[in-house]
Amino acid sequence: TVFNDRHFSCENCDGCVSGGFDSATSQIVLCQNNIRHQSHMNRVVTHELIHAFDHCRAHVDWFKNVKHLACSEIRAANLSGDCTLMNEIARFKFGLKGHHQTCVRDRAIRSILAVRKVSKETAEKAVDEVFDACFNDLEPFGRIPHSKTDAKRAYRDFQNRDRYNANL
Amino acid sequence: GLTPQPPRSCEDYWWEWRHCRGLPHAFRHYYAHGSLPACGRWREDYEACRAWESSRAAAAQVPPPRSSPLMEKQKHAAVWTLRKSPPPDWYLPLDQGKPN
Repeated sequence: TVFNDRHFSCENCDGCVSGGFDSATSQIVLCQNNIRHQSHMNRVVTHELIHAFDHCRAHVDWFKNVKHLACSEIRAANLSGDCTLMNEIARFKFGLKGHHQTCVRDRAIRSILAVRKVSKETAEKAVDEVFDACFNDLEPFGRIPHSKTDAKRAYRDFQNRDRYNANL
Repeated sequence: GLTPQPPRSCEDYWWEWRHCRGLPHAFRHYYAHGSLPACGRWREDYEACRAWESSRAAAAQVPPPRSSPLMEKQKHAAVWTLRKSPPPDWYLPLDQGKPN
């Protein structure tokens, strides 16, 4: 379980960073000076919650294993809405067929380079090595939540998980 | 013996099938995966679910659960090992005196 007063911190941040996850304290940081719209807030919170979820459910070596970091960044970009068509168009990145995956890959590499002193080649290699496994890891949603409908459906599946798991 | 209850309600299978075949979902699937979605399995699961409800007999073939995220994950080697419980400091209070 995540608690607002324990696992979230609203702070002023340098540059144009929107937020981050501090694994040392298991706390999500939201950059209050850089988030101005509700839709952006929704996306940042979802993105960082994916990292928090991964930290809570797995032994993620955030600092020494670039593939672990890459995996969580792939998942966060994939599942948070970072890479919707509209968001990409707003960034002047145009593409349609499978472009979501191109966006996820590129944003994961960018995120790694923003938090770790590794070369672009190292980041790219790590992302490419784990991409298939991590792009298809859709926990906790079970699907890419493209819309509120998808998100509500994912929550419904979660509420009915006992029935689902009993059948496996 | 009795066949087990399907993993989802029949209404859920029907809803998933209708949703899968809709234009918005087809577009999003093409954008995310580069191909159109395959929706037939939801319809098959729905038909099997109704058959189970109708007969509740061993003759009704309940399909194996729709390829679930759990099964999809097993096709790829795990990147990390799962924990048995949250990290030890997950719920511990923070030092509130830290500088901002």
